[in-house]
Amino acid sequence: MQVAATRIGGDVKKRIEMSGISKAFGGSVALKNVSFELLEGSVHALMGENGAGKSTLMKILAGVHQPDSGEIFRDGRAVTFATPREALDFGISTVFQELSLLANLTIAENMFLGREPTLRFGTVDYATMNRETTKALAELGLDLDPKTMVSELTIAERQFVEIAHGIKADASIFILDEPTAALNAADVEVLNRHIRRLRDEGKAIVYISHRMDEIFEICDMVTVLKDSELVATKPLAEMTPHSLIAMMVGRELKDLFPERNAEPGEAMLDVENFRISASSEPFSMTVGTGEIVGMAGLEGQGQQRFLRSLVGQFEPFGGKVSVRGKALKFPVSKDGGIRYLQSLGVGLVPEDRKEEGLFLTLSIGHNIAMGLHSRKSEFSLAEGYGEKIRETMASMSVQASGPAELVSALSGGNQQKVLLGRYLAAGMSILLVEEPTRGVDIGAKSEIYRLLRGFANKGGAVVVLSRETIELIGLCDRLYVVHDDTIVSEMAAENATEHNILDAALSRQAGQVRLETTP
Amino acid sequence: MNRTMKRLLTGKDSRQGRWFFALLIALAIIVWLGLTTERFLTSENLFNLVAQAMPLIITAIGMMLVVLVGGLDLSVGSVISFTTAILALGAPALISIPGVFALAACIGLINGLAVTRLNVHPIIATLSMQFIVLGITRILRPVSGGDVPQIVIDAVAGSFYGIPLPVFWGIVTVLIAWKIIHGSRFGLHLFAIGGGIASGTDEATHNFGVADKQKILLAYVGCSCFAALAGIFLAGRIVSGDPNVGLLFEMDAITAVAIGGTQLSGGVGSLHGTVIGALVMALLANGMNSANISAFVQTAIKGVILLLVVGLQSRKKMGL
Repeated sequence: MQVAATRIGGDVKKRIEMSGISKAFGGSVALKNVSFELLEGSVHALMGENGAGKSTLMKILAGVHQPDSGEIFRDGRAVTFATPREALDFGISTVFQELSLLANLTIAENMFLGREPTLRFGTVDYATMNRETTKALAELGLDLDPKTMVSELTIAERQFVEIAHGIKADASIFILDEPTAALNAADVEVLNRHIRRLRDEGKAIVYISHRMDEIFEICDMVTVLKDSELVATKPLAEMTPHSLIAMMVGRELKDLFPERNAEPGEAMLDVENFRISASSEPFSMTVGTGEIVGMAGLEGQGQQRFLRSLVGQFEPFGGKVSVRGKALKFPVSKDGGIRYLQSLGVGLVPEDRKEEGLFLTLSIGHNIAMGLHSRKSEFSLAEGYGEKIRETMASMSVQASGPAELVSALSGGNQQKVLLGRYLAAGMSILLVEEPTRGVDIGAKSEIYRLLRGFANKGGAVVVLSRETIELIGLCDRLYVVHDDTIVSEMAAENATEHNILDAALSRQAGQVRLETTP
Repeated sequence: MNRTMKRLLTGKDSRQGRWFFALLIALAIIVWLGLTTERFLTSENLFNLVAQAMPLIITAIGMMLVVLVGGLDLSVGSVISFTTAILALGAPALISIPGVFALAACIGLINGLAVTRLNVHPIIATLSMQFIVLGITRILRPVSGGDVPQIVIDAVAGSFYGIPLPVFWGIVTVLIAWKIIHGSRFGLHLFAIGGGIASGTDEATHNFGVADKQKILLAYVGCSCFAALAGIFLAGRIVSGDPNVGLLFEMDAITAVAIGGTQLSGGVGSLHGTVIGALVMALLANGMNSANISAFVQTAIKGVILLLVVGLQSRKKMGL
């Protein structure tokens, strides 16, 4: 930290200055007049909730998108990039979340893609390509054969190859978009070593991550975006995890979330001895009436596999599940699972509302009535549900011209309400909700939280999983921390913090090692 | 099992695909025919086999260009018939031979534009072209006949120091194709674009400054031109223009490409695999003919082979 402080105090050059950047996609604004400066020899964290505009800002810097207005200065000179290739020529290298290496090419071929050196008669000069690639890899301390196919590399190796790609292009600015999302602890350490080395060489690094501990360990500066606007840029030395979260959320958490329910009633959903896979440890959980329970933990630790196996969309190893005291036929069959669970009053609200949830080309009315129709037998006559649909739309305060409006024309928040409305109209009593507010603005978020709480207060039970831990803490009554395909801890959401959830998830790993060594 | 062996046998982590199986199949058929058919392993019969296989080898190589970028060209059969019809119009070879290549390039250009600019699925774009070209061919020459330039006939029927000229056709075509597919940036970019399309990261090539649409377009132009070359060869062999000579050639070419280990979803394949695949098809036809299997049954068998070969390629979602 001492090093970082002097670095910022000294007279350092601005590598990049983005000023007054605005960008809209169709009707939705992604960035509003955002300015961003990047100093040489610094690691700059870019933070904000999902959909705050971080990725858009970086994609503009990387040449993937072009800004609607605003300017980019590279070492004081105004520049524009039409493609990532042009940005790379200006020394800006990006490691995107979605990896952009081609699996069917070798490391060297990927490194030189679009710029292959040639010999006479247009023959590709593989000798030069392989030699240069070996050199760039060696600079990162990687001992990989440049002739290796990328399909043979691990995710971590692929990320390092992308960084090497930037080094080879002599980039002075590196953008790392959630580089650690797919890495294990050892690889994260290696990555951090590379980042520090690049920083010490005077390069500027943008680091996007949701993991607080990483941000505080490696970054010098932080810029926070919220709702497409710049909140502030500050040295990290002046921040604490708490003040950073407050900046990201932009208001006190309790204003955003409805009040919790004090007394959960009888058990609605009971899970016993559940094992997601053959090698995972069994766990049990329960949800009562009036209760909202969150499945917390790091991303992809089995939360979604658990929810999906309840409705037959994933085949677990085994377990006992009962709904309102009635045991399920388990495992649930893949084909009829959703329908079977709906007949018991259990609805799964899927994560991807556009792909899995809504029928975008149908009207709001049809999308809501879908849930009502699905409880009838296959050949029964369709009933008119006009009144019910209007009621649902009003109670959900869906903003639209009427039930006939197409769902595709609605904003993300209203789409999410229509999706929820389908299950509420169909009279579900247990909701399994994945990512309740993905890509939804802050106002609609607050409304959706209230709707879910209202549903619980009327005797419903809700299981939520979300990538946004803050959301789980604020919305839920109780949290189960999931790690390695099993529940490792249970806590009251009131007392939970991001820190102790992470703690519970990770300390369990150490515990498991101990368990395995004792016979 | 070391890595090279594993790649060879499974085609995994290899950009050349499972061509090795095609080689084993080809050798097996050769052994079978050698044992069961009299006079199979005579130089006369083998040279004849090469001449029989040549149009398919040439067409399949062209087909491979578009398959590498995740496309297909169903119009090659019509282009072959069309080429023989044009050559049989009686114009001097100096005009008609450059002429057929120019016409084929135009056909490929339209295919390529439909696919890259109008985003029409390759199957529909080239199926339409198959009918357009077939119609024009039948207008030009409703039944077979006409005069093919003598030089074309000589170039197919002649021999050089005792080696029949079709062998040289094969050598020259393979050399040109090797340069295009495995010895140039263009070829490498076809693999890159196809790999991107197959894995759903098709932005990647574009992002790195590869002119992907232009290269896909050129692949269709190349495919049609190879078909025209096959048409010239066939015109020399049948010494006439025939509106039906190219019928179902696209099926054989796609099957040959698939047998040779080229992934129909794009990005994986090899020239030698395609040549071996075409030889397998020719050997099978030769074997079935000598076993007196009727042409109708042979057609059905070819369909089964295509379904089997493509069905055994790995794919996660429905696709080519």
